[in-house]
Amino acid sequence: MIKITDLEKYYRTEEVQTVALNKLSFDVREGEFVAIMGPSGCGKSTLLNILGLLDDPDGGSFIFNGIEVSGFNERKRANLRKHNIGFVFQSFNLIDELTVYENVELPLIYTGVKATDRKNRVHEVLEKMQIMHRRNHFPQQLSGGQQQRVAVARAVVNNPKLILADEPTGNLDSSNGNEVMDLLTELNQQGTTIIMVTHSEHDAKFSHRIIRMLDGQKVTENVLV
Amino acid sequence: MIKNYFKIAWRNIRKRKSVALINILGLALGFSCAILIFLFIQFHLTFDNFHKDSDRIYRFVSEVHRDHIAYKSTVPPALPNVFKNDYNYAEKVAKIIDRGEQLITVNSGATPQRYKPRTAFVEPDFFRIFNFPLIDKDFSDELTAPNTAIITREMAKKLFGDTSPINQTFIWDNKDTIRVTGVLKDLPKNTLINSRVFISFKTLQTSDRTSWIATESWTGTATSLQCFTLLRLNQDPLKIEQEMKKWPAKYHPEPVSTEDHYKLQPFPDIHFDSRYSNSINIKLLWILGAIGFFLILIACINFINISAAQSVYRSKEVGVRKVLGSFKDQLFRQFLTETFLITLIALIIGFGLSVLFLPFFNNTFNLSLSKNGLINFRFAGFIAILLIGVAILAGSYPGIILARIAPVLALKRKLTQSDTGSSLTRKILVTSQFVISIVLIIAVLVIGKQIKYATSSDLGYDTSTIVMVGLPETLEQAQLNTLKNKIVQSSNIKRVSICFTSPGAQTDGWGTDVNFNGNPKYEKFLIQSKMGDEDYIETFGIQLVAGRNFIKKDSVDEVLVNETFGTKIGINSPEELLGKPIKISDDYIQGRIVGVVKDFYNQDFHGTISPVFIAPAPDLWYNEIGVKINRKNTKEALQHIEQQWTSYFPNFIFEYAFLNDRVTEMYKSEQQFLSLTRLFSFLAIFIDGLGIYGLVSFFVAQKTKEVGIRKVLGGRVIDILGLFFKDFFTLIGIAGLIASPIAWYFMNDWLQHYAYRTQINWWVFALPIGCVLVLTLLIASYKGYRAATANPVKSLRSE
Repeated sequence: MIKITDLEKYYRTEEVQTVALNKLSFDVREGEFVAIMGPSGCGKSTLLNILGLLDDPDGGSFIFNGIEVSGFNERKRANLRKHNIGFVFQSFNLIDELTVYENVELPLIYTGVKATDRKNRVHEVLEKMQIMHRRNHFPQQLSGGQQQRVAVARAVVNNPKLILADEPTGNLDSSNGNEVMDLLTELNQQGTTIIMVTHSEHDAKFSHRIIRMLDGQKVTENVLV
Repeated sequence: MIKNYFKIAWRNIRKRKSVALINILGLALGFSCAILIFLFIQFHLTFDNFHKDSDRIYRFVSEVHRDHIAYKSTVPPALPNVFKNDYNYAEKVAKIIDRGEQLITVNSGATPQRYKPRTAFVEPDFFRIFNFPLIDKDFSDELTAPNTAIITREMAKKLFGDTSPINQTFIWDNKDTIRVTGVLKDLPKNTLINSRVFISFKTLQTSDRTSWIATESWTGTATSLQCFTLLRLNQDPLKIEQEMKKWPAKYHPEPVSTEDHYKLQPFPDIHFDSRYSNSINIKLLWILGAIGFFLILIACINFINISAAQSVYRSKEVGVRKVLGSFKDQLFRQFLTETFLITLIALIIGFGLSVLFLPFFNNTFNLSLSKNGLINFRFAGFIAILLIGVAILAGSYPGIILARIAPVLALKRKLTQSDTGSSLTRKILVTSQFVISIVLIIAVLVIGKQIKYATSSDLGYDTSTIVMVGLPETLEQAQLNTLKNKIVQSSNIKRVSICFTSPGAQTDGWGTDVNFNGNPKYEKFLIQSKMGDEDYIETFGIQLVAGRNFIKKDSVDEVLVNETFGTKIGINSPEELLGKPIKISDDYIQGRIVGVVKDFYNQDFHGTISPVFIAPAPDLWYNEIGVKINRKNTKEALQHIEQQWTSYFPNFIFEYAFLNDRVTEMYKSEQQFLSLTRLFSFLAIFIDGLGIYGLVSFFVAQKTKEVGIRKVLGGRVIDILGLFFKDFFTLIGIAGLIASPIAWYFMNDWLQHYAYRTQINWWVFALPIGCVLVLTLLIASYKGYRAATANPVKSLRSE
């Protein structure tokens, strides 16, 4: 599903150039659950941003579903992203001014789903995430665990092929963290490809494969199953 | 999608109430002013636009060519008849003489009821040229007979109550009984014709003293006789004017100049042709329009600056939406929708405010704008343009800034100031606001200064102690003298003069031709007449520079002239003028110059001092008494004058005016313009203040950490306040440098309309800059002081 080859990304200030990704290459097959680990500043989040088509690489190749996407303009990337990729963030990133229902509905609005279909789909996902009873609440009225459930619901409501999770349990206690990991595992079992950036060895064990990075390069790769 | 946009917009407004309040209040005030200005402009642009054939209606006007061209909206009485009888250009021609307020008495009940409505004398075709609808009747037989009148519905109600006014009678000027033959619907306010009583022209022709409207007379245009025509279809007014060019030579050769022209003024142009009286300078409308635009611009700049500054708070939402697949243009549209919603709320409030303040606006500025002006397609179109225009103007820049925010940075909260709009752009916008406000304040100061200069300068005659009292017509010399003697018999009365007009305090006097020293030709300038008895110069405090005053006689053979007359003639020594023969207005006055008076301002400061003669009126055509009173006992003096006057004229209404009030009245339009500019400049500063408050609030929030660190390192409150001031100080300085030459250019141009004008001093520029500086200082201090005196531990912990 994903094939990156010699991927490069630099950050430049006036005097210094920092290498974030240094000729990084790996593949992710459809249905796989891959965990990416490494110390802070090793390039995990940069990689995730590029994989999520939020950022452009400075070099190398990025093939998504058989298409080279590294040269895509912003509009094309947004189009590809909204139909294929769901995001789960450490800090949930729910829109404070929208209710649970409206937050989850948002990706469907951007993909042009009709109102009645949207309603059915949001209800279905909220039921599945066991957050239906909180649908009219605003994010700040929910616990961290509930907020992350909503974020997961929002990530999957469009049935994306790929979910990118950036330390999804980073702001949660272990109980809520495990619940979220169970949800991601379940989604993966239903066929969704998941790439997760994490510091947690515990969370990483939920994945099929762990890629460890250092200084923008892949250092090891462990297959767990 | 739109629903989602509105929903989030509404929730954002509720969440950041103070920001929304600043934006909405500023825009609402801007809209309110724009709506009031729209009503003002619409009122003037729709003047008399309800007449069916207004494209074929023309007014005859005269151009009197002497050393300069004098434009007169009046014509010699013979002109309409020649035009109607000798040519085939016109479908209809009608004369009108507006006599201003006339005494109307209704003898119903025990005591006669007296009124002074504005009254005109019109020919029958007047109401066939114009479309003022009659109630119940047509005009087939109206105003053809003498002593008949048409009155407005409002006037009919006032005169006759609920009884039918048709065939009821009233007495005009205690002389003629007039029968009402028709009732007009009340005239709209935006019409040139503002009389309430229209008496048949024939009534005037059959009454006393009508030589000045004799149908064969070609002399003089200062007769208040106006003439309108409805041309036949497909007539070329330029060709007609070519034909009329021959008339001065044909009908009135010397002494009147053959270079005089009669012209056809298109009816729709009358209201805006400032060469003639009773018009409004269309430039004023555009200036007010521009002020309205600038007020809205200031409010938009507030919106842009505050929204751009606040965009950092919206960055997370933008990041999330982009992650979820929103395109830039979708985000742009979202923020535009949000601006639209805020604009809509502001517009509704602004509309409410303008309706609420309309009566106050009308009263304060002496206007007659109606709420009906808010119910038409024009207004709907204006509102739509305003709404969409402002939403786009105010929303585009913040929308672009927000839409271009990189999602990765937004989600990591790593936005820098440049990500939320260039600080240079913000500075330019704030400076523009200051420029607008400073220009407006300078304008207010210059206009005010000019009015003060015009009304408080030494005019060369006394104004503060003079009371002008009206006189009924048809008085005999003996009656006038008796009245004068009775009035002067009080210790509170210093002097009395019976006269035709006061020395100044009027814009349009009677200018006529003059022949000096028996020269073969009449002079190439008009001389202004000041008719009065032998006490005229003493009463009004006009100084003699040579010779003596004229002596009271039965005939008029002694004349006074002013210094300018000598200058125009080319004689600079007043003594040389003495004893020289002078002939005025053909043979109206023939005499010798016995005295020269010091120049006085015989008209307002727009025009230069004219050549003037002072002499008694040969036909006793006096209409006023000038009374010099003891101002210490004004009340007693006025009571005495009224008592004497009413004992003499029990059937007339006593009216008086102080001469200095009349001087002020001459600058009514300037006063109105000043009041409007003052209001709008105040609002501009207020909206500016809102913007400064919003920006300083944002900066204070942004600099909390910096303030904390500076305080820990020993920074004083004043140093910290300086953080918030210094940018504004620089911007106000720059704004002052930009605004001053702009304001100087426009105000200097405005002052050129005056022959006598005030100086634009340095303080006119310094004061507005100082005002804006102090205002900014106060606002920034209010917000900044709290930050500067807060416990640094708290601010650092909160970071």
